[in-house]
Parts: sequence; C-alpha cells; structure tokens
Amino acid sequence: MAVSAARVFAGEWASGKHYRLFPSPAAAITAFSFAIAGLASFCTEADGVLSSRVKIFDRDLKRKHRDRAAWLMGGKNDFVDSVAENLLDRLEDCKKTFSTALCLGGSSEAIRRLIRGRGGIEKLIMMDMSLDMVKHLKNTEQNYVSNNLETLYMVGDEEFLPIKENSLELLVSCLGLHWTNDLPGAMIQCRLALKPDGLFLAAILGGETLKELRMACTIAQLEREGGISPRMSPLAQVRDAGNLLTRAGFALPGVDVDEYTVRYDSALELIEHLRTMGETNALLQRSNILKRDTALATAAVYESMFAAEDGKIPATFQVIYMTGWKEHPSQQKAKSRGSATISFEDIQSHFRSNEVN
Amino acid sequence: MVRGSRALHLKDAGAISKALLDILVCPLSKQPLRFCQETQSLISDAIGVSFPVVDGIPCLVPRDGKIIEDKEKMTSANGPGSAHHHR
Repeated sequence: MAVSAARVFAGEWASGKHYRLFPSPAAAITAFSFAIAGLASFCTEADGVLSSRVKIFDRDLKRKHRDRAAWLMGGKNDFVDSVAENLLDRLEDCKKTFSTALCLGGSSEAIRRLIRGRGGIEKLIMMDMSLDMVKHLKNTEQNYVSNNLETLYMVGDEEFLPIKENSLELLVSCLGLHWTNDLPGAMIQCRLALKPDGLFLAAILGGETLKELRMACTIAQLEREGGISPRMSPLAQVRDAGNLLTRAGFALPGVDVDEYTVRYDSALELIEHLRTMGETNALLQRSNILKRDTALATAAVYESMFAAEDGKIPATFQVIYMTGWKEHPSQQKAKSRGSATISFEDIQSHFRSNEVN
Repeated sequence: MVRGSRALHLKDAGAISKALLDILVCPLSKQPLRFCQETQSLISDAIGVSFPVVDGIPCLVPRDGKIIEDKEKMTSANGPGSAHHHR
C-alpha cells in the first residue's frame, strides 16, 4: 500500500501537478514521508519521462543565499575545511597532473586555500552563481599568491555550464551540486567539459544530513501550526550516487560516504552556520513565513531531543564523495565476453591439486 | 579623465578575459561567445543574447543575459561576427 502510494506521488511530481499538504496533521505526516520516498525514487528512476522541467529548488533564491554567505564568510569553518581537505586528498592518489581545473560553487574558498600545489594545477577557474561570492574570492586573491596559481574568475550556473567541450582536466565541486534541480544533467555537462581522462571530483550532502533538524522542524510545526511545510531539501541517497555517476557516463566511478557530527552551543548557532555556508532552505514549495513561535519551538524540541549531557547540540552531516573519470582508451576495462583463454575450472583444479600436495 | 578610465577598463577586461575566453561558451546554446569592446559584454550570436562582464568577471548565468535589441542585431548581421572586433 505504502509503495503504491509513493508511486502515485512520484507520478504527481512528474506530471507537474501541485503538491498540497493535507489539512489534518495525521494525514500530513504520511503525506510528507511519501513525498520523500517519491523524491528519492525520482533521483534514480527518472529517465526521460521526468525531464529537467521538474523544478524543486529556487535557484534565484539560492543565488541570494550565496550572496549573503559571501558577506558572512570569514570565520573558521572546520566542517567545510575537513570536507575540502578530504576531497583534495584524492588528488594525491593519482599520478596524473591536472593543468587546468575548474572549481564549481559551494565551498570554493576552502578549496583554493587548501589546494597547496596538489594535483599540479596551473590554471584554476573559480565559478559561482553569485557575483558577490566571486568578487569576494577575487579580492582575497593576494592572500594566496604563494600558490603559484593562475586564477580566473567567472559567474556561472552549474545547471548551464558555460564551458567548451574537452577543455578541462579537473573539475572540483565541493558541497554545491546538491542544489541543482537536474543533478544528472549537471553532471553530464561536467563530463562534456572535461578532456578525455579528466577527473570529476564532487562532494554533496547526503540524505542523512541534518536528520535531527528535520525531526525537530516536523514536530514543532505540527505542534504549533497543525501541519507541516517542506523545510529540508530532498537529498541524494548513497545508492543514488553511484547510479548518478554511471548515468552521467563517467568511467571508473567511485563513491564513498563520511558522516560528520558538528557540535553547536545552541540550535540557533546551527542555523547561523548554515547561513554562512549558504545552505538554508531554497525549496520552491517552501512556506515563506516562519513564525517566531515555531522557530523557538523547533530550537526547544531540538535541544530536548538531541542535546548531549554537556548541553551541546549535535548535528549530523552526511557527505557523499563522488569520483569519476572521462573515458579514455588508456583506462583499464573489462575484457570482452568469451575472450578468456583459461577456464575457471582449470584454475580451481590447479589450486586444489596444490592443496593436496 | 573619461577616456583614461575607459582605456584602463578595456585593458583590464581584455587581460582577464583572454585566457578565459578560449574556454567559455554560451551557457544555453554551447556556441562560441564573442567579446564586444563597446558594450563590455560577451555576445552569443547563436541566440542573440549578451552577457555582462563586471570588473573583468564574465557573468554567464542565463538570467543575467539580455536579449539584444533588433538595431544591434542588424549591425552584427551586416558584418558577420568580426564587425564588432574592428571598431
């Protein structure tokens, strides 16, 4: 029953019908969980029929969020730093050097700061949706002269990547791609922009992210407003990430997951942190009003449900790291079917006879 | 005064865009862009849209693009592509 209902919901998304919340609180809970299930399946099973016309996020609002993040940035952000460090660490695992690299929005500031000559990058192009963010990056350029990087700046949208085909060797995206409406489409554009044997490195937030806040929001809204509105983005699940890479046509795909728990003094500080990262709600179907009452109730619920003994508030961030290469004849691949010259049975019997001896 | 600042502006934009220009294309049509000195913008002839360049930073978000007025289109149609370069 639940499965079929979720399918119906996915169908509703596809046909572009409006998704309305049910008036009674009990129905609202079921509707919400079904909507999430529907969206999760949307990530993997959307082929052809569900085209890029489906809009989940308000990209214009996200652009404003990024503008604001540019003004608020500057403090120490350990979470972003460790994600960027983890992502860049992968460059040390390849023997290849990458002379031209593009850094897509998200935490590009941390990427530039932590790159420290890794990957042999000579030319780094920084791209973000927000002009203020790019200006901020450009104005702080003199702090990183020692990097010996030729840094170029541009404003662009990941959904409409303005890069010529076969022109990049490396494409890094640190915590940015989860805000795209059409993630497979964006990744396909990334692959096209890469040269053969070019590397795609991305970190996105996964479905377990901020699960505590998700619960606290739901409970507080139910209690104060008698219904809920979407406050959290649908995020990709780990199993979707591999499918995304193969669907975008990347060779040698690799996916791994890390969970970070960040501890805050209060729930309000968590929201402040999200704001400095430009990660606040940008769903198209969001409610435009947040009552002070509900906000405070959310903080209270959060604290009573999840606070640690020392009064700190934990928040989970699940980061999915994706690696993929653009195809190149030099890459290893499976041999064609039937090309084997030795039978597995022979190998087995060979080892068995060794054991006996 | 005006002339001086303009010259500086042009030099600035040109210097920064040069390396970028080689790899940038129109975000919508993926066709080549051409830099127009006069309007300080990148023009996609394929769809007739111009994208602004602010302080040497090209802004290629589709929403920033402006559809070129008919009059301008006429001049670019007279001398295909290169007309703006020689001004």
